[in-house]
Amino acid sequence: MASSSQEMSENFCEVKSDFKERLKTLYPMVNEEETPLPKSWSPKDKFNYIGLSNGNLRVHYKDLLTCSKMESEGLRSYAVVAAGHGKTHKDAASVRATHPIPAACGLYYFEVKIVSKGRDGYMGIGLSAQGVNMNRLPGWDKHSYGYHGDDGHSFCSSGTGLPYGPTFTTGDVIGCGVNLIDNTCFYTKNGHNLGVAFTDLPGNLYPTVGLQTPGEVVDANFGQAPFVFDVEDMMKELRARTKLTIENFPIPDSYGEHQLILQRLVSSYLVHHGYCSTAEAFASSTGQEFNEEITSIKNRQKILKLILAGRMGEAIDLTWRLYPGLLESRPNLLFLLKCRQFIEMVNGSDIDNNTRHIAAHTSVIQSTKPYRNVAEINGISKSKDETLGGNDKNTCNGLQNGYISDDLAKCCDLESGIREVCGGSRHAIQRMLDFGRELYNYSQQLFHENGSHEQNKKMLQDAFSLLAYANPWDSPVGWQLDPIQRETVCAQLNSAILDSSNMARRPPLEIAVSHAKELIQLMSRSGLGSCAFANVDDIMN
Amino acid sequence: MLEVRERKMSLPEKPPETSKEEWLQKLESMHVQRSDMNRLIMNYLVTEGFKEAAEKFEEESGLSPPIDLSSMDNRIQIRQAIQNGRTHDATLLVNQLHPELLDNDRYLYFHLQQLHLIELIREGKVEEAVHFAQSQLSESGESEPGILRELERTLALLAFEDPNRSPFADLLDVRHRHKVASEVNTAILKTEHEESTQAKLYSVVKIILWAEEELSKKKVRFPRLTDIAGGQVESPK
Repeated sequence: MASSSQEMSENFCEVKSDFKERLKTLYPMVNEEETPLPKSWSPKDKFNYIGLSNGNLRVHYKDLLTCSKMESEGLRSYAVVAAGHGKTHKDAASVRATHPIPAACGLYYFEVKIVSKGRDGYMGIGLSAQGVNMNRLPGWDKHSYGYHGDDGHSFCSSGTGLPYGPTFTTGDVIGCGVNLIDNTCFYTKNGHNLGVAFTDLPGNLYPTVGLQTPGEVVDANFGQAPFVFDVEDMMKELRARTKLTIENFPIPDSYGEHQLILQRLVSSYLVHHGYCSTAEAFASSTGQEFNEEITSIKNRQKILKLILAGRMGEAIDLTWRLYPGLLESRPNLLFLLKCRQFIEMVNGSDIDNNTRHIAAHTSVIQSTKPYRNVAEINGISKSKDETLGGNDKNTCNGLQNGYISDDLAKCCDLESGIREVCGGSRHAIQRMLDFGRELYNYSQQLFHENGSHEQNKKMLQDAFSLLAYANPWDSPVGWQLDPIQRETVCAQLNSAILDSSNMARRPPLEIAVSHAKELIQLMSRSGLGSCAFANVDDIMN
Repeated sequence: MLEVRERKMSLPEKPPETSKEEWLQKLESMHVQRSDMNRLIMNYLVTEGFKEAAEKFEEESGLSPPIDLSSMDNRIQIRQAIQNGRTHDATLLVNQLHPELLDNDRYLYFHLQQLHLIELIREGKVEEAVHFAQSQLSESGESEPGILRELERTLALLAFEDPNRSPFADLLDVRHRHKVASEVNTAILKTEHEESTQAKLYSVVKIILWAEEELSKKKVRFPRLTDIAGGQVESPK
């Protein structure tokens, strides 16, 4: 029993994560925190003849039985008279999805499967704005649009339909797509595109279905399952079209010397990041001048190279020497650097210079060492807890005994040759722990001098948490060990150095790229659908 | 049991205007990956034909160039010839490399010829310049009004005692040579590869221009990047 229910919940999770994944792929530019996607029908935004089930995805027209039940529950009696007959337009009933379609989708699509056409098959599928009367089929009123099953007509805010597509009935899958770039709507039947049905659509429309006679049942698919229609293909086309529009966008006359603009973007980037000989070569072939002395670039480059190699200790020392006063006046930066140093020690990249050679030789051979080492960490960090006093409990308390033995068990299953904490050297582990203590003291000192600093606190916690795992690389805090994290550290130190010598904190190229990304985000918030197909990263790569 | 709802048509709302300070803060907190930026730079150096810089950049960044750098040699020779004002050599080299290129692209051919004319004027060879214009250029000016206008602008340089201080001095600037060099470079790439030949860096500039226009059309107010090369953002207007 237990195992099958677990299996079920696992299956459920899988379906759910598939759903999430599919929505993310379909609508990458939608920020669901600001504009949630429609995922089910709204139990609040429907006419009362409509019943919902199956996670609010199935819609049915309530029959007499349901209505007598309603009566017995003391609900208003006219509903009983009307519902279940489906004789006139007054019996029509609709339901809207929980959320309007976000413009940032670019192209939005959902499908509805006709489970049963019921008595007469008066199903209508479409879109409507919030506030449109729900005692109607989609398409009959202003800001309401629908495709109806009984006659295959399209209804564009009007009681009179226009011939549009085939009729549809039990077993058919009807899709409804909204192009948010040109504000048009098309339908599909069983995977075939029926062409544009509506143009000049207003914004913020909700997926809507309407039913009118007893027994009508439909199921919605908002991306929970793969679609019958190949909507990705259509997306690909729109993406290519947008890319072409951008590539052919004319550069206005005010940008007359755009070649020169690009050259300046390139050379300032090279100088900023200390690509010294490239900058020199580039400057000599474009006739540009340097703003910064070559030695200064070379110095910065030395430091940044050390950081990128994970050799933080040496990088910090060199910064002290080359830029005296810089770190004294920026205690938070120094703290960031030291935290990184701690992480690099765990990583085995920041090694005591004297032992660099020895460590490199011993690290791979001794495969039994890490287990003993972990036990050692355990012992030491306990005593550390004691000395550090009460308020520090959550910074390094992941090392309870039970936890460790669990991890040890897992660890023993692994093949030898896995990466080891501090490169597996006992000396390095001792050094790391000493350093950790020093780092903690420094954080306390900063706390007393400058008060609480959330970012620093979190940084320290994350760094110390690495010790809680026998294999920190494969832990929830393992992202810190990714070499890519070195880039952020690099960028911050580099900016500080440039800042202290009155140079731009960031190269204009990076500002331009960030600006472009931010503009696309703003387009998304402003309801401009084309942003969905203008991914800055895609265009750069 | 009819649900009573407010009958309100929802219209798309405009996001609140972002101040320059907020915008800069957003830009600041956005991390752009160094490897992405480096690829962008390498792509620029290679497509624009800066071979030496591309080689140095390979050494310094550890990023390998997407193409064999030796295949750039012809393009580089041509670029250098144009940048040094040796238009005649450049034309010969282009014809050797792609005999049909200048025949098919009249505008490009004109720009090389125009540059030659400019070089003659720069050297003060007035008679030679006039003769060259009449014998080589007037014909193509007749067929294309755009070419004629540019030709007139160029010859107008002769009317000034010090052409460097004339309204057309931009033509004498070395940057004009760079412009033509880039144009020829792009044309060669286009004949050699069918796909996109522009450096991706152009696309970055263009996506900014495009997005700014789309937003303006929608009457959204936002901080603009008025000076791309200087990284200067201006308050919403």
